Amino acid sequence: MDVEAKRIMAVSIGKLYSLRTQRGGLRLHRSLLLSMTMRAARDIYHTAQLLRDAEEEQVVPCAPDAATEEPMEISKDSPQTLTPKEVAVKPQETLEEDKENRCASERHSRKRRGKTAVEPDFLPLKKAKMDTDEEKQHLQGEVLRTNNGNSCRQAETLSAFPTNRAIVAC
Amino acid sequence: MVSGAGGGGNDVQWCFSQVKGAIDDDVAEADIISTVEFNHSGELLATGDKGGRVVIFQQETENKSQPQCRSEYNVYSTFQSHEPEFDYLKSLEIEEKINKIRWLPQKNAAQFLLSTNDKTIKLWKISERDKRPEGYNLKEEDGRYRDATTITTLRVPVFRPMDLMVEASPRRVFANAHTYHINSISVNSDNETYLSADDLRINLWHLEITDRSFNIVDIKPANMEELTEVITAAEFHPHQCNTFVYSSSKGTIRLCDMRASALCDKHSKLFEEPEDPSNRSFFSEIISSISDVKFSHNGRYMMTRDYLSVKIWDLNMENRPVETYQVHEYLRSKLCSLYENDCIFDKFECCWNGNDSVVMTGSYNNFFRMLDRTQRRDVTLEASRESCKPRQVLKPRRVCAGGKRKKDEISVDSLDFNKKILHTAWHPQENIIAVATTNNLYIFQEKVN
Repeated sequence: MDVEAKRIMAVSIGKLYSLRTQRGGLRLHRSLLLSMTMRAARDIYHTAQLLRDAEEEQVVPCAPDAATEEPMEISKDSPQTLTPKEVAVKPQETLEEDKENRCASERHSRKRRGKTAVEPDFLPLKKAKMDTDEEKQHLQGEVLRTNNGNSCRQAETLSAFPTNRAIVAC
Repeated sequence: MVSGAGGGGNDVQWCFSQVKGAIDDDVAEADIISTVEFNHSGELLATGDKGGRVVIFQQETENKSQPQCRSEYNVYSTFQSHEPEFDYLKSLEIEEKINKIRWLPQKNAAQFLLSTNDKTIKLWKISERDKRPEGYNLKEEDGRYRDATTITTLRVPVFRPMDLMVEASPRRVFANAHTYHINSISVNSDNETYLSADDLRINLWHLEITDRSFNIVDIKPANMEELTEVITAAEFHPHQCNTFVYSSSKGTIRLCDMRASALCDKHSKLFEEPEDPSNRSFFSEIISSISDVKFSHNGRYMMTRDYLSVKIWDLNMENRPVETYQVHEYLRSKLCSLYENDCIFDKFECCWNGNDSVVMTGSYNNFFRMLDRTQRRDVTLEASRESCKPRQVLKPRRVCAGGKRKKDEISVDSLDFNKKILHTAWHPQENIIAVATTNNLYIFQEKVN
């Protein structure tokens, strides 16, 4: 699926560039449709990339830190113990987490675009957090609209275990 | 045989009548037909092309003593409507391609039409001259002045018949009102005003006034990065001079009432069908974009065309169309390829027959579809040089979507996507249709026994 998405993305970008040199000036309608399709493909592609990254990380043993391993196990069972720590997280961390969650939520909201879009259960922690933390959900809902591609890319470079970071920060 | 009202799509057998245009396979870009339109009586048929030219055909007066001789359309007038221009401020070339032609209802001996390219609309007067004055006293017939000393008598100049000459002259030029590319023009039923629509705005003009127009719809967002949809087509209601509709790239149609407010950004009705989630794909946005919207002649319905289907809407029901017809559903699985070769962006038009019982639209491989609303039947026909014998009946075509191909069927992979029928027109009263392939205009008529 992501191969398809990547191809569509590449084709779309190529078409967008060639639009600029077309006679008659930039066609607004066509460039709008192209950029929408490109964004949809890009989201699917990034979602799939994160899935692959997460799978690789899970296969490779985690850093031998009880604290970091703990949240994974806990999240599978119950995330309650995490909640107080999350709430105690400094605002900067919250913002970073929100960026990640924002992206994840966007992927949630955008996954309707692809038939075979993968449910992001590759991020069990995020899912758990979103299920339990209503306040964060509220924040995510508010910032979804203003996402630009940059925040997604930032999310990729950040660890796939935001909860770890939260705990580390604490 | 149903006649007169132009009804009965499938009781009717269609025959080849004429084809206009070059036979060469090598198509000159300027010759690509970009619009086709009958006038209100059907006597005149206008085409516009990418080279900015307008060609008008006139139907010959029928020979009543020989009903088998169907009337033919012959060239009546040809003129250069628009020339390529350059916008120096934006460093942009403005194409001369004629996007739309709309006829004005005839008021006197002359005919009037509006033609538009991306930026400028022009009102053309087409008039006939079939007599000229002869017998001037001071001038020779060729215009040279006579030597005054040779004039010994006086005479009254008289009009004498001459070979018919058809003159086209630009009477009005409506310019500088559109930042974006004009996609539609529509003459109001009041015969005094008309609208022009571009991607983001719709303007209202008076036919007599060229130096100003009123903006009646503006969907441009404050921040262009928030742009999510554009206007794709607009049309006035055929009888209610206060009502018009415009379609969007998101598959919605808005009906606006100009009495409600000066700026019709707020619609009176919003026609939208919920999307079928099982059909969702990367290309759902593109294929839901409406490429054409047309009111029925009786003003009770409107028809929209998107990439794969034609929908008929009752103006009194906003939440879904009353009828949906699949034009070429077999293309749904090919959308990715059609995206790569740009065909998915093709803008097909659609048209009604005279009594609103049949609708017609184009497809690929020079196929076009007739969709009979009353009989709930449809037929696929082809505009091809191979079926060009006079009065040759068109045979229905079938496309094989998959599986075993039957005899006479054509498989989806054999379709020629360079041969597309985007523009079609139906005579307002008779069963005569004009179908434009890339650079040829086919005229088909109902078979007369």
